[in-house]
Amino acid sequence: MIDDMNKLRNIGISAHIDSGKTTLTERILFYTKRIFAIHEVKGKDGVGATMDSMELERERGITIASAATHCEWRGYRINIIDTPGHVDFTIEVERALRVMDGAILILCAVGGVQSQSITVDRQMNRYRVPRIAFINKCDRSGADPYKVVEQLRQKLNHNAVLMQIPIGLEDKFSGIVDLVSMKALYFEGDNGEKVRTGEIPAQMIEQAQAQREDLLDAASMFSDELMEAIIEDRVREDLICQAVREGTLSRRLTPVFMGSAYKNVGVQLILDGVNQYLPAPAEVENVALDLDQDEKEISLETDPELPVVALAFKLEVTPYGQLTYIRIYQGNIGKGDNLVITRTRKKLKIGRLVRMHAGQMEDLTRAYAGDIVALFGVDCQSGDTFTDGRLNYSMSSMFVPEPVISLAISPKDHKAQNNMSRALNRFVKEDPTFRSHVDQESGETIISGMGELHLDVYVERMKREFSAEVETGNPQVAYREAITRRTPFDYIHKKQTGGSGQYGRVAGFMEPSEDGAYRFVNQVKGGVIPTEFLPAVDKGFQSCLKKGQALGFPVLGMRVTVNDGQFHSVDSSERAFTQAAIGAFRQAYMKARPVILEPIMKVSVESPSEYQGSVLSSINQRRGIITSSTEDGTFTIVEAEVPLAEMFGYATVLRSLTQGKAEFTMEFSRYAKVPELISKELISSIAKRSKGEKKS
Amino acid sequence: MKGFNSVSPLKVLEKSSQKGLGSGNLGVLIARAGVGKTACLIHIAFDKIFRQEKLVHISLEEGPEKVTSYYNVIYYDLVKALNIEDESEIRLLIDRNRMILAYLRQSFETERLRTSLKNLAENLEFRPDTLIVDGIDFEKAERAFFEGFKEIAKAFDVEIWFSALSHRHITEVNERGIPHPCQALDDLFSIIIELQPGSSGVFLNLLKDHDNPAIADNGIRLDPNTFLALS
Repeated sequence: MIDDMNKLRNIGISAHIDSGKTTLTERILFYTKRIFAIHEVKGKDGVGATMDSMELERERGITIASAATHCEWRGYRINIIDTPGHVDFTIEVERALRVMDGAILILCAVGGVQSQSITVDRQMNRYRVPRIAFINKCDRSGADPYKVVEQLRQKLNHNAVLMQIPIGLEDKFSGIVDLVSMKALYFEGDNGEKVRTGEIPAQMIEQAQAQREDLLDAASMFSDELMEAIIEDRVREDLICQAVREGTLSRRLTPVFMGSAYKNVGVQLILDGVNQYLPAPAEVENVALDLDQDEKEISLETDPELPVVALAFKLEVTPYGQLTYIRIYQGNIGKGDNLVITRTRKKLKIGRLVRMHAGQMEDLTRAYAGDIVALFGVDCQSGDTFTDGRLNYSMSSMFVPEPVISLAISPKDHKAQNNMSRALNRFVKEDPTFRSHVDQESGETIISGMGELHLDVYVERMKREFSAEVETGNPQVAYREAITRRTPFDYIHKKQTGGSGQYGRVAGFMEPSEDGAYRFVNQVKGGVIPTEFLPAVDKGFQSCLKKGQALGFPVLGMRVTVNDGQFHSVDSSERAFTQAAIGAFRQAYMKARPVILEPIMKVSVESPSEYQGSVLSSINQRRGIITSSTEDGTFTIVEAEVPLAEMFGYATVLRSLTQGKAEFTMEFSRYAKVPELISKELISSIAKRSKGEKKS
Repeated sequence: MKGFNSVSPLKVLEKSSQKGLGSGNLGVLIARAGVGKTACLIHIAFDKIFRQEKLVHISLEEGPEKVTSYYNVIYYDLVKALNIEDESEIRLLIDRNRMILAYLRQSFETERLRTSLKNLAENLEFRPDTLIVDGIDFEKAERAFFEGFKEIAKAFDVEIWFSALSHRHITEVNERGIPHPCQALDDLFSIIIELQPGSSGVFLNLLKDHDNPAIADNGIRLDPNTFLALS
C-alpha cells in the first residue's frame, strides 16, 4: 500500500488559453492508453483553438473535461484534475488547486509567458503547488524555447532550469536532447509512440554540455551528494533526478521540458517528469480544522489506517445522477461504508464508488488516502468534508461570510428561465458565499456574493454552462446601520379595545456592541417581566434589526439590556411583550444616533513593478487606504482597504491601466461608517428611488 | 497619544544635542539577537505617528502581514500599559500615517525604494517624515549601500532609523567607542544607540550624538516586557 501511495500523482495541467492544454491532455490519455485514437484539433493557427477544443470534447463525448481523469504511466497512477478555464478567482478554482499536489505549467514556445500565464502561475503560488514546465509548440514558426525560459525567470520569478534542449526548431524540430541521460530522443511511429534513443548530433554536443553544466549547477543547490559527485566527477543520473526533485518539491526549482504535443514530440518525457519530479500525496502537507478545538489547524497524515477525512471538491451532474468527486486525505473508504458530512452531521452510505477514466467509469470496492475518486448519488454540497464520524474535522472554515453585494438578474427568454433556475440551484450548492433569492417587493431574482467579479463569473457560467443568458441590473452594496450611543427606552404596549387585552411594559437601554453581533442581556429583577415572556421580548427586538429606521438597512452590532418592566396577570402575553419590544426599539433607535455602515474590502493588487504608481493612484481615487506595498521579484503587491461601493468596474480600470498585466483579489474585511458626505448622497439617492417607486 | 511621550524609548534623545535625529540623517539601534531591536524600532515608529508624522516601515525580511502583527502586539501592550479606553481614533491614525514597504527575496535596491517613495508622494500625497528599516544585515551590506540611504534621507527630507545585530563574542570597538558591526560606518550615522540587557531591564545608551563629542550620561532603562521607558 505504501509503495502504491508513493506512486500516485494528483496533478493539474494549467495553461494559457492557446497553449495547447487540450492537445497535451489528449496525447497523455493516448500514450497512457485511455483513448485509442488521436483526433486533430481544428484551427491550427490557434485563433479558434478554444472553441474548437471545447467542441471537440463535446463531439466525442470524451471526458477530458471531467473534474478528474485517471491514467497510468510506467507503474505510476496519475489523476489529472481539471483546472477550470476561467482564471477569475472562485471557490471552484480554489478547490481544484487545493486537491492537486503538483502541476504541469504549459507555455507556448511562440507566445511565451503571457498575462494569463502570470495569473495562473500566481494562483499556483498562492496554493504552494510545485510545478514542472512544458514549452509546447516548438514546431511552430517563431518558436523560441530559450526566450520562454528566460521569461519564466524574469516574469514569473521561477528558478527555471532546462532538462532538455530541442533538436532543430520550427519546421526543423525533430527531437529532444535529454540533459540528464545526455541522449537524443526521437518520436517515431504514426503517433510518436515509439521513442528511439540515439547519440546527440555532433553539432549539438558542445551546447548540450554547456546546458548540462547549468542544470548540474542549479540542481546541486539541493543536494550535497550531487555537489560532491560533481567535484569528484562521478555524477549519476539518479543523483541529478533526486536533486531536481528536491528543488521542485520545495518550489525553489522549476524543471523545464519541451516538445510539441501536436506533432507528438516530447509528451512521454513530460509524463516521466510527472512521475519523477512531482510529489506523491504524502509529500504535501494538508491541513484540516478541528471543530471540537475552535477550528484549530491539524496536519493530516496520508495514512489509510487513520480515521477518514475527505473533501468533496466538485459536483457533476451526469445522466446517471450526481457524481461527487472527492479527495481522500486520510483513511480509506469502501462501498457500503458510512460517512458523515461535517457541515450537517448527516450520515450517508456509499452506494457506488467509482474512478473516472477518459471514456469510461471503473467501479471500485475501496479507495485509500491520497487518491481521488467519485461517489454516486450522494446528497451533499461541493466543499463538504466527509469523515467516518470519529473526527469532527473540516477542510475549510465553517464560517461563511454574509454576502456584501447583490445584483438583480432576469432571463432573456423563456428557455433561459428554466436554465437559470437550474444554474442557480447548482451554484448555491457549490459555493456557500453565493446566494440567490426572489425579492418579495419587486419579484426580481437577486443573486448575492462577495464581489462584483464573483457575481460576474456566475453570470458568465450561466451563459456558458447552462445556456441561460440573463440581463443584469446595477450591483447593490449591502449597507448596514448601527447605533452609536447608549440610549434608554421605556415603553408600554397597551391595547384594550375589544376581545382580550394586551399589556406589556419593557424598559432598559440599547448600546453599540463591539463585536458587531446582536446581544440580548436580561437584567430583569423580581419577576417584573415573567421569565416565560423574555424570549418574546428578545424576538421583538430581533425582528426590528432586519430593517433599521434610518435608511431601512439591516442593523448591526447592538446590545439590548432589559432591566425593568411590568406585566398584567390577564392581558400580558408573548405577543404583547413582542409588540412592547418593537415599540421600545422604535422609541429609542433614532435617538441612539444611527449611522450607515458600508462593507470595506481588503484588496490586493499584484502587478509588474512599473505600474506601482498607477495602482496606488487608482486605489487612492477610490477612498482606499493603502496599508502596504510589497516587492517580490519583478512584481509589486499593493494591499489596501477600500469601500466596496468604490470597487465597481475596477477590473476594467486596472486592465487598461496595466495593459492587462495586473490582477486583484478582494475579500470582505469589515463594516465601517460611511463618511458624512457619502452618507448624505446615499440618503438622497434612496429618497429619490423610493419617490420614483411610489410614482410608478 | 496621551502619556506616550513619557514612556517612549526616544526619551533617550531628549538630552541629546539636537533633541532628535533630524531629517537627512541616519540613526541606528545596535543590539544582540533577542534583546528587542524590532520592538524598539516600532516604538520609535509609534512615537512619530502619535506626533501626527508620517512613517514608512521598510521590511527586508518579513512580509507586510508579519510586520503588521508585530505592530499590533506592541500596540495592544501599549494600550494596556497606558490604560487607554477608546482607541479607535488612534487606530485610524496608525492606518493613515503608516505605510509598510516590504521587499521579499532579496528584491531590495535603493533605486526601487526611491521609485516607491516618489510614487507615494505623487499618487497618495504620502510624504514620510521618517523611514524605519528593519532586517538589514550590517555584516554583509557594503558602505555604498548606506551611502545610498544617506542620499535618500537628504533627497526626501526624512530621517532613517536602522537596527543592527551585534554579537556577544565580538567585543571590539573603534576609537570612538562604536562597537561591531558599525565601527566602520559611524561617520554615516548621526545617532547610534546601543541596547543592553541588564538584570533590571534593557538599557538604552547613546553612543553617538551628532557631532557632539561630549555625550552626557543619559541612558534610560526600558521595561523588558513592554520596552517602554521606566522612570
